[in-house]
Amino acid sequence: MLRRSLASLGMTNTSSRHPEPSEASVRDRRRIKERIMENYLYLIPALPLAGFLILSLLGKNLSKNLIPVIGAGSVIGSAIAVILLAIQYDPENPVRQILWQWFSSEDLSVAISLSVDALTIVFLFVITFVGALIHIYSAAFMREDRDYARFFASMNLFICSMLLLVMADNLVLLYLGWEGVGLCSYLLIGFWYEKPENSRAANKAFTITRIGDTAMLIGLFMLFQEFRTLYIPDILNNVSQHFESGSATLTTIALLLVGGAVGKSAQLPLQSWLPDAMAGPSPVSALIHAATMVTAGVYLIARMHGIFVLSPEAMAIVAIIGAITLIIAGCSALVQTDIKRILAYSTISQIGYMFLALGVGAWSAAIFHFFTHAFFKALLFLAAGAIIESLHHEHSIFKMGGLRKKMPLIFYTFLAGAASLAALPFITSGFFSKEQILGYSFGAVNGNPILWVVGITGAFITAIYTTRLMVVVFWGEEKTHVSHLPGPAMTLPLVVLAILSIAVGFIEWPHNLMHVAVFSDYVQNVLPATVERENIAPPLVLQGIAIFMTLFGIYVGYMNCYRKPIWKANNYQTPLFQSLRNFWFKGWLFDDLYNNVFVKPFLFITTVNRKDIIDKIYTGISNGASQLHRMFSVSQNGSLRWYIGGVLAGILIIVTIQMIV
Amino acid sequence: MHIYLLQAVTQNPDSSYWYLPVGLQLLFAIAFVGLMMGVTHLLGPSRKTADKLSNFESGIESVGNARQPMAVKYFLVAILFVLFDVEVIFFYPYAVNFKSLGWEGFLAVMMFVGFFLCGFIYIIKKGALKWED
Amino acid sequence: MSNEQLLALLPFMVLAGASIVVILMIAARLSHTAIQVAGFLMLCFTVLAMGYVRDILPQEILPLFIIDGFAALYTGVIIFSVGVVGLLSYIYFEEREENPKEYYILLFLATLGAAVLTISRHFVSLFLGLEILSVSLYALIAYLRNRNNAIESGLKYLILAALTSAFLLLGMALFYMETGSMEFNAIGQKLAGSDPGVLFKLGLALMVVAIGFKLALVPFHLWAADVYQGAPAPVTAFIATASKVGVFAVLMRFSLAVNLQQSEFLLNVFSGIAIASMILGNILALRQQNIKRLLAYSSIAHLGYLIVAFLPGTREGIEASVFYLFAYAITILSAFGIVTILSTRMKDAEDLSVYRGLFWRKPLLAAVLAVSLFSLAGIPLTAGFFAKFIVLLTGANYNLWLPVIVLVLTSVIGLYYYLRIISTLFASAPAAEPRHKPLHPFFHFVTYATLFVLMVMICVLGVFPGPAIEGIRQFLMIR
Repeated sequence: MLRRSLASLGMTNTSSRHPEPSEASVRDRRRIKERIMENYLYLIPALPLAGFLILSLLGKNLSKNLIPVIGAGSVIGSAIAVILLAIQYDPENPVRQILWQWFSSEDLSVAISLSVDALTIVFLFVITFVGALIHIYSAAFMREDRDYARFFASMNLFICSMLLLVMADNLVLLYLGWEGVGLCSYLLIGFWYEKPENSRAANKAFTITRIGDTAMLIGLFMLFQEFRTLYIPDILNNVSQHFESGSATLTTIALLLVGGAVGKSAQLPLQSWLPDAMAGPSPVSALIHAATMVTAGVYLIARMHGIFVLSPEAMAIVAIIGAITLIIAGCSALVQTDIKRILAYSTISQIGYMFLALGVGAWSAAIFHFFTHAFFKALLFLAAGAIIESLHHEHSIFKMGGLRKKMPLIFYTFLAGAASLAALPFITSGFFSKEQILGYSFGAVNGNPILWVVGITGAFITAIYTTRLMVVVFWGEEKTHVSHLPGPAMTLPLVVLAILSIAVGFIEWPHNLMHVAVFSDYVQNVLPATVERENIAPPLVLQGIAIFMTLFGIYVGYMNCYRKPIWKANNYQTPLFQSLRNFWFKGWLFDDLYNNVFVKPFLFITTVNRKDIIDKIYTGISNGASQLHRMFSVSQNGSLRWYIGGVLAGILIIVTIQMIV
Repeated sequence: MHIYLLQAVTQNPDSSYWYLPVGLQLLFAIAFVGLMMGVTHLLGPSRKTADKLSNFESGIESVGNARQPMAVKYFLVAILFVLFDVEVIFFYPYAVNFKSLGWEGFLAVMMFVGFFLCGFIYIIKKGALKWED
Repeated sequence: MSNEQLLALLPFMVLAGASIVVILMIAARLSHTAIQVAGFLMLCFTVLAMGYVRDILPQEILPLFIIDGFAALYTGVIIFSVGVVGLLSYIYFEEREENPKEYYILLFLATLGAAVLTISRHFVSLFLGLEILSVSLYALIAYLRNRNNAIESGLKYLILAALTSAFLLLGMALFYMETGSMEFNAIGQKLAGSDPGVLFKLGLALMVVAIGFKLALVPFHLWAADVYQGAPAPVTAFIATASKVGVFAVLMRFSLAVNLQQSEFLLNVFSGIAIASMILGNILALRQQNIKRLLAYSSIAHLGYLIVAFLPGTREGIEASVFYLFAYAITILSAFGIVTILSTRMKDAEDLSVYRGLFWRKPLLAAVLAVSLFSLAGIPLTAGFFAKFIVLLTGANYNLWLPVIVLVLTSVIGLYYYLRIISTLFASAPAAEPRHKPLHPFFHFVTYATLFVLMVMICVLGVFPGPAIEGIRQFLMIR
């Protein structure tokens, strides 16, 4: 199934796989002619790019009313294009559009070409649709900002890069998008650059993700070395002939790719940048650090699944990374006080679930969780942004409270998101996606009970911190005065997202309860089906346990925070608990660890080498060049006799050499 | 005399060593001139007086600077004369071959004259041949 | 001469006719504007004629000319450059010179000379073309005769060009003595198989002098800075582009005909010259404060780079060199365009101080200059980068490691002084000067538009060089 779908992507060796290649291709071609939107694939990334260009070139001169029209309009335009594409799209026939040959050098030829299959469409939909909602929200949210145009320009560039990333069908273009989103993330985290800590956070995010990017780049080089191409379908098609299952080279490549994914998706051990990245404006956190960019790692692994399937070790490592991360980040989320940091840790934890799913081979489950997570996490961030703004930029949840009555709309939308995050059974999308992951972590071939237990524990923790967040922020007495309520441009996206984060779950039910599997059917042409083990515990029992744990977590959270608030700052005085709390609060001290292991020795080396011995060589070269310049300048003295002498000397030299040789 | 280099000459007449004698002679000439100039400079007595340093005008006392400015029109007319003179010179060979060149030749010469005519019109219109302003 | 042969010469006849038309227009006392427009139209006609005769190429007009795709390409670059120079000239000369009209006669004659060089296959046509070009240039360089350096630089160019022309003639005579012919192909046939004699080599060495002088290659480069500085800015642009393109074309054709690159000795001489030019040109430019002189030195270095593409003497080499020349022409034209447009009545905008903070005063001009400097420095996504890249590739394919390494290293030195200017562009601005209302709004607009188009071309060629390369390949097939 997988191979056939890839073969129809229009690759070279279709003949060996496809039963009747010529007829099929003729049919494909005819079909492509009928579907108009597919000839305009380029519009999808081009619109935000145009928005970026206009805003960055003319931004200063545009009126405040026009800027959001361009900024949000371009993204809405590409969202419409994506929807049209999705309607016309036929999962049997993925489309590809070659825009132009970027460069070609011997074996490596890179085309700027876009291709769309079901996996891409899912991402495209989330990026443009959620992106459009967030842009609409930002139009109101950022209105008072001095750099209104710069904000929208960066956001548009981000959308464009992200679209390129998911639409690319060769790894070079994908890498271009990959770096592009990293750059935009950097620009937007440090958007309020006057504050030094914001710039520091931006630098941190950039540096840490660069580590992953470097690993990924090496991985790409190795891939090229092995396959002599970076065209993704070719690689995926040939990988099984090229490598034995479990080959060391392939595992190395897979792990290097995982390195890139881990950096981008803030997984262990490169997770420490994401909480600091909350320094950016809330819409940025919603778009980049919750819905889209941080899931690029998930996309990369899902896209290159052919490699991972052949490397069980790499799969296992992905699953373990996901499992550990989801616990670590969940624990940290338990004790945070900054509303956005809680959400950031919860994002890390939820992406941990996606990695867990990828690692056990539950490809479609991972993507489904990405899909639902994008809606409810974007919703949570946007709602948090609205709260923060209404409360005079107050971030601490303990200075909020009682907002249930004051901001009812925010409350209900936030509730929808939080319920989804906590995976409240049967009525939220988070439940359906997380249930699938938990089920597969036990039942898939690569799964095992330990992973399942970890997942269940994670679900428990998630439920606790979500309840804590809800209770502390919305119940209790009012601690900060609500200055104003958000306007319709901000609430509309919230409502839409709230509806979606409840509703999208219903397209995919646990298969033992009801046979609705719209989502996994949709992506089945691209992603291999999950292989399940025989003879395992009945799914109903597992589901029951999971549901129980979630409800129990909510109960624990409710009891502890509402009745006897123990996780309130300084409220529980045992030294052990204090230190544990502190340990979790600081994100398991990963920052300190990296500081001591990497940053300080590096700073030490730089202090020792302050005068830079190697630099001497370069200053030497530049001084030498200046000296030479002075010497030769003498020859340009403006005297005609001297010039004639120069010409004659030149002739003499040439003639003499010629006579001698 | 058996100089090694000159032996080489006899073997390969097309090599650059064939020109060695010329080169040597050139070298000698330059060296000789340099030597003579240097030697006279060193050996000869030099006493500079005002009379000796002044220009020699065949015995007549020199008056003022020889580089007097002259009206540019003289040059202009002279140059233009040369130009049209050359045109006329081209007519002689044409006149001799008039018959054999036939119509093609006639056309070519007419074209030539035509171009010159354009130039001539330009000169006249520019007033290059107007002697008085 | 058959009709087709005559027809193939049509573009050149139109070009020659252009100067006649201008002469007659001056005689009819038409305005500068009319002459500018007519001159532009004549250039357009030339281009049209080139398109018209394309199908009947190649044509050989024995013994003097050959008109093939190779010639068409180089002529195209020349005509393009002259078109831009012509557009830049109007405002420049209208504001400075009470007699701007004769300039166009000289410009078209010089163009004709350069164009004749590209189609010549015989020493006589070579020499004629070269002299038409040089003689017009003497006058062009000294055109603003009231300026300080104009006459001086014109005279310098005259004397040195005469000197090197004399060498060229002697070289030709030696060729004739050795082979009994002055046609490139006949010379090549005579030499085929046999080792070239010493007189032939001597002749070549003398010819190298003349060519090296015109291309301003080390050690015949000393005139370049003075002449670039003294000449009016549009003329400098012409010298930097059209005249060099023509001379390079004839060098290429000659060397292909006689298989110059087969001779190890000449290969060494040329690579020596290339290396010396790259090093010296870049080093001389290093701390130069006068932008016209700086561009002169940089052009020395660039011609050195170009010679690297010339060294293999293969089709790839020709492709690379045509692309390089085209990219270089666009780039240097836009740079000199900025110099032209910023020049005041008294003085060309040559001091670096004029450019301080230009970006804050005239962002478009600064952007054009910055892009062209990036292109000169060979920064990716500009035409200059790709041009340098394919030159490097050609060199590397033929194992010319020494020149290639020198090319790379000296490019790095070059980066320094280009970036120095660019940083000046963005430096904090001095007090804004009062805005003058442009005297000729239409031509002002045209000049700006031209510069903008050039900038776009630089970028487009840098990003999509494919079609251009393909076009060059297509033309080179016509032979």
